[in-house]
Amino acid sequence: MNKNKKLILICVMLLVVSLSGWSRPSAETGVEEWQIPFLNILTGPIASIGGYLQWGAERAAEEINAAGGIAGKPVRIVSIDTGMEPAGGITEMSKLLDSALVVMGPVPEPVILAAVPLAAEEGLYSFTATTSYEYVADFYPWAISWFPPTTERLAPIISGWLNHIGASRVVQFVENYGVWAGMAKAHEQGVADAGATLLRQVDVSTDAVTFGPLAVNALQQNPDAIIFACNPQKIPSIINELKSRGWTRMSNLLIFSSGDAPELYSVGGSNINGAMIYNYVDPGLSSPRWDAFRAAYKAAYNGSEPPSLSPNYYDAVYMIKSAIEGAGITGDPSRLAAERILLRDYCNEIQNFEGIQFTWSNNHGYPKNKPLYLFEIQNGAKIKVLEIIPE
Amino acid sequence: MSATLSNYLTITAIFILCTWAIYLPYRMGQLHFMMIANMVISAYLGALFSGAVVSGSQVQEAINLNLHWPFILTLILGVVVSGLLGYLISLAIGDAPCFAVVIVGFAFMYLTKAIAENTTALGRTFGMFRVPRIVEGLSNSQNRLFLVCVCFFFVLLVGFWIYRFDKSKLGRAASSVFVDRDLAVSLGINVKKMGSLLQTASSALGGLAGVLYLYTLRAISPSFITFHNVGLFMTMLFVGGYTTQWGPLLAVPILWGIPLIMPESLQVWKNVFYAVILIGILMLKPEGVITRPLLRRLNNLVFKRRLKPAGSGKNLS
Amino acid sequence: MLNIEILIAQIVNGLSLGSIYVLLVTGFNLLLLVAMIIHFSFPVIIVFSIYMSWIVMNLTGSLALGILAAVASAILVNMVSAPIFQHIMRKRGSVDINATMVISMGMGMLITEWTSHAINNGFPISFETEAVDPHGWLRATRAPFIRAGLVSISYSQVLTLLTGIILVAALFWVLYKTKAGRAFRAIAENPDGARLVGIPLLKTGVQSYILTGILGGLTAALMALLLGQASPDLGDQLGHKVLGISIIAGLGNLGGGLVIALLLGIVEAIVQGVFSGGSWSNTVAFLLMLVIVLAKPRGVFGIKL
Repeated sequence: MNKNKKLILICVMLLVVSLSGWSRPSAETGVEEWQIPFLNILTGPIASIGGYLQWGAERAAEEINAAGGIAGKPVRIVSIDTGMEPAGGITEMSKLLDSALVVMGPVPEPVILAAVPLAAEEGLYSFTATTSYEYVADFYPWAISWFPPTTERLAPIISGWLNHIGASRVVQFVENYGVWAGMAKAHEQGVADAGATLLRQVDVSTDAVTFGPLAVNALQQNPDAIIFACNPQKIPSIINELKSRGWTRMSNLLIFSSGDAPELYSVGGSNINGAMIYNYVDPGLSSPRWDAFRAAYKAAYNGSEPPSLSPNYYDAVYMIKSAIEGAGITGDPSRLAAERILLRDYCNEIQNFEGIQFTWSNNHGYPKNKPLYLFEIQNGAKIKVLEIIPE
Repeated sequence: MSATLSNYLTITAIFILCTWAIYLPYRMGQLHFMMIANMVISAYLGALFSGAVVSGSQVQEAINLNLHWPFILTLILGVVVSGLLGYLISLAIGDAPCFAVVIVGFAFMYLTKAIAENTTALGRTFGMFRVPRIVEGLSNSQNRLFLVCVCFFFVLLVGFWIYRFDKSKLGRAASSVFVDRDLAVSLGINVKKMGSLLQTASSALGGLAGVLYLYTLRAISPSFITFHNVGLFMTMLFVGGYTTQWGPLLAVPILWGIPLIMPESLQVWKNVFYAVILIGILMLKPEGVITRPLLRRLNNLVFKRRLKPAGSGKNLS
Repeated sequence: MLNIEILIAQIVNGLSLGSIYVLLVTGFNLLLLVAMIIHFSFPVIIVFSIYMSWIVMNLTGSLALGILAAVASAILVNMVSAPIFQHIMRKRGSVDINATMVISMGMGMLITEWTSHAINNGFPISFETEAVDPHGWLRATRAPFIRAGLVSISYSQVLTLLTGIILVAALFWVLYKTKAGRAFRAIAENPDGARLVGIPLLKTGVQSYILTGILGGLTAALMALLLGQASPDLGDQLGHKVLGISIIAGLGNLGGGLVIALLLGIVEAIVQGVFSGGSWSNTVAFLLMLVIVLAKPRGVFGIKL
């Protein structure tokens, strides 16, 4: 057989294998084992985020199995990679439409925008636990959010910070990605509530690699406070540029919650000491579950602190467990549609759910009473400065 | 037909059209990535005119056109607008060198993305969703099946048209420009007109693929425009073979299918396998899997078999 | 309003960004000139070398070893990838050189996967930590030595810019004024012809890959110095712009690449610095490229292949 024929044969075989692969759904909800498919990002430049989200979900599954499983049956997280590609996202989601009880993810926003509408239309409930409320609100009741609406909670924390530092002239760095522009708008409200002035909004280009021009643009306004609503990896570089031009008031720099990611600390190091940051997770909290989670994460990730999103899918697995046990879900394939609705309704209105950090209740698919904290950064650690607990 | 298979088939058909959109101007040596920008422009037009909505979080500021054009009209609109855009640009770059055309494509991609990201009526970074089903009244699975049929109808239609083009005088003229532009000019071929024709066809094809993509995903956002798409379609063209239209027909189903069937344990290494296969195939067959000599040999093989019973024994090629 | 202080500050910033483009475009053009490879993922190869440098510095704390690791790894990548590219180039009569661009994308994909999974748990790396820079040399070079209002100039900025200019001049001299350089170009243009006139293909080929490797390694070291960090997607962010600059200047045109790279850096800095629309700066850059391409399809300074 010559080289051409061999190659064609290989191609045809690959095609046959690729087509036959779909006769067997990979993520069935069986009665012997609870399989929870997780549409995650495991490849490409931001695979590291998917890595620690997966770690959190796997840890919850291990704990649950060690304690007897869900309703007496073991649970397994089925990892599925969507990459960043919307087309890949809907094809992977479509594999689950006929068989899965529930799906965790997707994670990247472009994939959420393509795959969650499909799942919603087909009556499959998505646990989109890392994205903002705004991304999934349109698909309620078939998608749950881990965060309250952006505008609800951000304005008070901004005005609280401005009052704390006594500043009145604000510049904001904004990257036009996902919900960040919306968060920046909520910050604006907070600035106005504090009686301060927003002097300028400096747009940060998505593929910027040097930040001197942006720092000059901001400083020429002569601000006394700066807010960052951009990629966490870029924030330390912008801070460096500000410092190299004489900026010294570190507590007058505020980083938004999406900036609270490992990239910020791995790049920023001690250069961002003294800067403020707000988020929904308090790493300084001490409880047996959180302490164990934190220690395990540090062991797995060379001593790094768990990122603020790392507990989200850990909690998601526990919430699914709670729903299955609480709503009496059996996993019987013949009752799939009805049990999907049972699980959905249970989670959308779950009350006093014991998350790893705090106990919260949902209303219309999002948490009503999650606290929001303001921290000061010191050598990668966060020291609590302010806490806003909703009534 | 399962949802998985129908989505796989639909996207395969759309990617074949996209790869052909790159193949056409490449017949005369131009890498015309403007088709990706056109794909997105026609998808947004389709979304606006079909009655899709922007995210509820931005709805107060959005302009609601309140139009509910049927699929066929949005399709025609997308193809016509994209073709027109391609034609207008081709007036300037019809005979430009390969890489000058690349930059024009990149510039349009950036421009389209920046406009979409900053326009509230288009849903800014969230984009638009709730695109109506292709035929209202049919169930989801019937719609998916219908979409598969529509997409493959266009693959057949466009494929037939490209086949006729390749076999025509024009097609041979395009090949001669690819091989030796100076010689082609001295033979009296109008390179600019040829480029204009192929670029316009490529853009219109991009527009067609864009509307089909919109009705498959039923959503569109600026994040769908990536350089990853450039790499994806280039790969499909070069691995399949860039000298004939049949290359994409072989490469697209395989290259698009392989990552989707990777076992769970290999999901993390999906891109590594993909890259290794890509490099491996190009090492084995640098001109792509399907080449003109291979087609000729296959052709001869078929003819010989047909002729044997008649006892002719002559090679007609 | 743009006052003189801000204008100077932004020009300095623009030259700094431009010097990164200069280094990358020079490496990209060099590969075209000596091997006829369209290495679209050349910036990703540079990111690989930055990561190798970081690994060595993290282990040893030695700046010299870090630079050596950057250069050695760039040469190694070149030597490993050379047979793959040469395999394609040998069939150049029937194979289009754009196939090298697709191979390059495949290589880029492999490196991105490696950096996003295996190094530092996939998180970005920093050159400003105690472990990587125990003596604080990198931090010292990144600190400003001239500061007047908003104008700030660091040693790393000056070093990168000067090295970029010197490298372009040196490469120009090597390629166009020396026997070895002529041999490199001859092999790239016509290997059979080069063999006929007695140029040793293997030896010269290896030398050209070492030369491009050294340039790649130095580029990696200077980028690490200037940026102070790297991430798996850094190469992808720069790839299309490097290709754009090279085309606008004229493919293979070293001097043209230098001028256009610096000009583009300045234009981007001024757009970002004067208007608040940083997200439009790339669009402005590409619009500018579009206008130039429409007026000068063979590049401002002409193709030199």
